[in-house]
Amino acid sequence: MSAPSITNYIVKRPWLKRWMTPIAQWFDDLIPEESETVQKAIKRLSSKEAYDRVFRIRRAVQCSISHTLLPPHEQTKPEEDVEYLSPIIREIEKEAKERADLDNLVVRK
Amino acid sequence: MLSRSSLSRNAPRALSAGRRAMASAANPSFQYDVTEAAGVKVANREVAGPTGTLALVAKAGSRYQPFPGFADALEKFAFKTTLKRSALRITREVELLGGEISSTHSRENVVLRAKFLANDLPYFTELLAEVASQPKFADHELSEVVSYLLKYNQQAAFANPENVALDAAHGVAFHRGLGSPVTPSPSSPYEKYLSADALAEFAKDAYAKSNVALVATGPNSADVNKWVGQFFKDLPTGTTAGQYKVQPSEASKYFGGEQRIASKTGNAVVIAFPGSSAFGTAGYKAEASVLAALLGGESTIKWTPGFSLLSQATKGFNQLNVSTKNLAYSDAGLFTVTLSGQAEQVGAASKNVVDALKKAAAGEVSSEDIKKAAALAKFRALESVQTLETGLEATGSGLIHGAKPYQIGEIAQAIEKVTEQQVKEVAKSFLTGKATLVSVGDVFQLPYAEDLGLTV
Repeated sequence: MSAPSITNYIVKRPWLKRWMTPIAQWFDDLIPEESETVQKAIKRLSSKEAYDRVFRIRRAVQCSISHTLLPPHEQTKPEEDVEYLSPIIREIEKEAKERADLDNLVVRK
Repeated sequence: MLSRSSLSRNAPRALSAGRRAMASAANPSFQYDVTEAAGVKVANREVAGPTGTLALVAKAGSRYQPFPGFADALEKFAFKTTLKRSALRITREVELLGGEISSTHSRENVVLRAKFLANDLPYFTELLAEVASQPKFADHELSEVVSYLLKYNQQAAFANPENVALDAAHGVAFHRGLGSPVTPSPSSPYEKYLSADALAEFAKDAYAKSNVALVATGPNSADVNKWVGQFFKDLPTGTTAGQYKVQPSEASKYFGGEQRIASKTGNAVVIAFPGSSAFGTAGYKAEASVLAALLGGESTIKWTPGFSLLSQATKGFNQLNVSTKNLAYSDAGLFTVTLSGQAEQVGAASKNVVDALKKAAAGEVSSEDIKKAAALAKFRALESVQTLETGLEATGSGLIHGAKPYQIGEIAQAIEKVTEQQVKEVAKSFLTGKATLVSVGDVFQLPYAEDLGLTV
């Protein structure tokens, strides 16, 4: 999934998000992986979450190749669609920001 | 140069029993003030000076850990991210203030230590309180930082044959409890017990008010009590019920035995006997530390093997290290003779150890040597209490384990009272009782207990 992501573009536009939501609900699965922050966040997932994530992505790829739809009972329900990766990403971004701030600290006495 | 006659005139004077009284015994600034603030035991020694030290001693060393590696991991998790501050922020703040923070663990204690400029006492008191009462134990910190530190620590510890032998000697002598290794062996499956949640549970009990003591040197006692009372209020009261609580201390029992470990890192032999427990406890025997100094092996003076029996006996061996120690714990002790170096020489010298013990037991040691040994034992005991690194832990450990904190004058008196007869008796009891023998390295060359004439 190395294509440039349009997730942010969509999320920023409520009308577009509303239109897209039924198609791509699992936003955390769609966050582009190609950044150090996200890579680190994926490493910090618990083993169950990491397994499930890879499972969903592979299943989606299979469906896409074979041009099929998932049977309804396997489709992700809205209540299962939780933010599992974003909190970790936010935490890592906070850490990076703190480090940058502390690195640029000026001591005035 | 001093003339021979002047030396011989002065030597008896130096050894005479009626020496000047120790300056420290009369000097109150060397004694610890013991109080309680916010339910935490605090010992402080006021020493005028521009810097201070504060240590938090928790009774959570490897002896009390519920599963292997917990004491080690708790030590490595000290000063990591807390609920209020990140590990990075703690590091940078301490750097800005010009302090030093460190953590160590031993068989009995986990010690968090801070050294700082005298003015920064409130900051460092708060920091220690925060580390103890609001640790975060993030999962990713365990996997990204702490687990590597644990591994490096193990590799460092197990690359040293003396260390391996000492650890094994404790295991053979005490089995569980005191016998559990300080650092889990790299080949042991300790990882399966470790998780951030389990450690968090363990920490709640380890840093409970009844389980810790604070030891300070430098600052004013009133200040210490004030800040400790303010910041340590939130320390957990320690009622973790589950399997991760600090293990209750069962009285240590000495077993003894023999263990041989093949290793390529070097050769070491540890010959151990049940020794004296820490000062202030029931099992304290001052004569064991005198015997340790008498057997010795390491010279305290340059360019001479020294007076000790073992250094005299092993004078001819140039690739050998010998040292005798009484490792004292709160309810037991281990009297160890550690030999390391070239396999042949280690093997030959282990026989000398037993010969030296026999000599001491038969009373074939000159009383002058015993006096020298007593003086050295006294110096070592007092020095170890006065030195910050060892003294803080010893004092804190004394407080938590219910005994008194180290009071310097009393130790000196206890050692002064040791008689030649007592030293003889201890040596005799070692030879008749069960010994512990651990050989690490080229076991093809290293001796068995049978060869040395030891009963195991």
